[in-house]
Amino acid sequence: MLDADVEVDRRDFRVHAAVSVAAGERLALFGPSGAGKTTILEAIAGLVPLRRGRVTLNGRVLTATQAPQTAIPPWQRRVGLLRQDPGLFPHLSVRANLGYAPTADRGAKLTELAGLLGIGGLLAAMPARLSGGQAHRVALGRLLLADCDTLLLDEPYSGLDAALRRSLTDLVVRLVTERGLPAILVAHELPDAQAFADRLAVLDHGVMLQMGTPHEVVLHPISRRVAELVGYLGFVPVPGGDAVGRNSGQEGTVAGIHPDRVVAGAHPGRGMVLATTLAAHRPSGAGWAADLKIGETAVTCHLPDNPAQHDGELLVTALDPPRFGPDGTAQPANTDGTGIRGMECG
Amino acid sequence: MIWIALLGPVIALLTHLSGGAIESALTAPGALGPLLVSVESGGLTLAVLLLVCTPLSWMLARGTLPFPQVWEAGVLASLLLPPLVIGLLLVFLVGPYTPVGELIGHLHLSATNTFLALVIAEVYESAPYYVLGAQAAFGGVDPRLEQQAGLLGDRPGRVFRRVTLPLAAPGLAMSLAIAWARAMGAFGAVVIIAYHPFGIPMQIFTTLQETGLPTALPFALVLLVVALPLPLAAYIWSARAGRRRRG
Repeated sequence: MLDADVEVDRRDFRVHAAVSVAAGERLALFGPSGAGKTTILEAIAGLVPLRRGRVTLNGRVLTATQAPQTAIPPWQRRVGLLRQDPGLFPHLSVRANLGYAPTADRGAKLTELAGLLGIGGLLAAMPARLSGGQAHRVALGRLLLADCDTLLLDEPYSGLDAALRRSLTDLVVRLVTERGLPAILVAHELPDAQAFADRLAVLDHGVMLQMGTPHEVVLHPISRRVAELVGYLGFVPVPGGDAVGRNSGQEGTVAGIHPDRVVAGAHPGRGMVLATTLAAHRPSGAGWAADLKIGETAVTCHLPDNPAQHDGELLVTALDPPRFGPDGTAQPANTDGTGIRGMECG
Repeated sequence: MIWIALLGPVIALLTHLSGGAIESALTAPGALGPLLVSVESGGLTLAVLLLVCTPLSWMLARGTLPFPQVWEAGVLASLLLPPLVIGLLLVFLVGPYTPVGELIGHLHLSATNTFLALVIAEVYESAPYYVLGAQAAFGGVDPRLEQQAGLLGDRPGRVFRRVTLPLAAPGLAMSLAIAWARAMGAFGAVVIIAYHPFGIPMQIFTTLQETGLPTALPFALVLLVVALPLPLAAYIWSARAGRRRRG
């Protein structure tokens, strides 16, 4: 179990986060670049001084700024940190890198783990000869052989292609679960965070804005800022009343439109119907990306079918869009638990 | 062409030497004494640089010293001072009537015209080359690798031994080799505070003055033969270390 309540002063702002990660649980810290995500990992690893806070790992106090003050040095923490640069020692072979930790089992366990990670044939190779994926596997194996009590992953796979990222994420998830390690991933790409985490924490400018399951955070952001961070690209005004006599919003209320949660056609039972003008469209993945204009608001959405047939005018339905008041906070959902339904806008 | 031009002095030396001249110069009574003095003082100079300047270089590279620009400016200033000026200033620093000189005197030593003076002059002439080179070598080691080694359970001393030193070693070796070459050829400061005992540069200078160029040239060859192997070996070793890392 990893518990961290840390406050760290950075040059531009103060980072504050309180997280608790159970054995085998995976938490993703998600937010834009420079939000302070890495600082939190470094605080847990003992690499940056805390202004205030306390970090415990499996009941062992690693850092405490209040009496009795404690500051266990990094080399005694048993905290594994994996960064985007795998940080292999270039003068040591793969085998020596894997067995680097003073406590590492350099015999059968090393060979077995190398086989499990798919790097069994590379033990004599030097790091410069490895591909990005292989280097990351070695770095992961090195942490596992060091018998770390927790894994901290700082955007480890950012530079790798999508397929490799997915396979490495699956591997880490499996190993973390098998070994019962609490793990924290820092990510600025939402799909990476979703693929990894049981829980997602959204961080911005040093402040933790929301924490919940990835599904919950994406579908029910608690503020407009969280919605923007998790991918809501457009915010359309909610009219004062609606067609079915509910969902009326106060002046200045907006609904968040997520590009992945828009379907063509009017489906009042599923969400908010929007009368839009098609400004542009282009192939995207297996479907189409459509740039829509809703009054003065521009929204991009993904549609399965080519929207060109609609001849400029296009009715779409934003599925259960969250709505936000003038102060940016989320407005309560309908009494039936849904978002805005039936309303027509545009 | 530039390469040949740079090697021109060495080529000129080799073409103007005869076997007989080398033999007679080196077999003259006391001819090998300066060689021994130079090698001993050079070896001691390297030891001083390793012990004193290596930690300084590391601290400069890691920026752990307060006001790092001031420290770096100090090293650069000593690099930019002409050796002859260093010699003159050393008289005011370690001469017999200075506080440092008196302190040395209490130890029944002297820093004027002694072996100690020769070592001091060589240290001053070669130290900036070593410090700046070693600083660059340590600076080339990614601090995140050191951090990673620490997180894997290594204490700082062990990190230095297992990661920092091996990664900086090629650069350190080159810096040390350059410092060795500077120490062996030190003359400007030496001629002011350590005219005696003769090292090879002083031997060349006095031979040139007393008996002329032909008899001085063999000692120049000796100086090259003694000063160059270490830099060459360091270069070859560094290149091999680089190839090994590239797999």
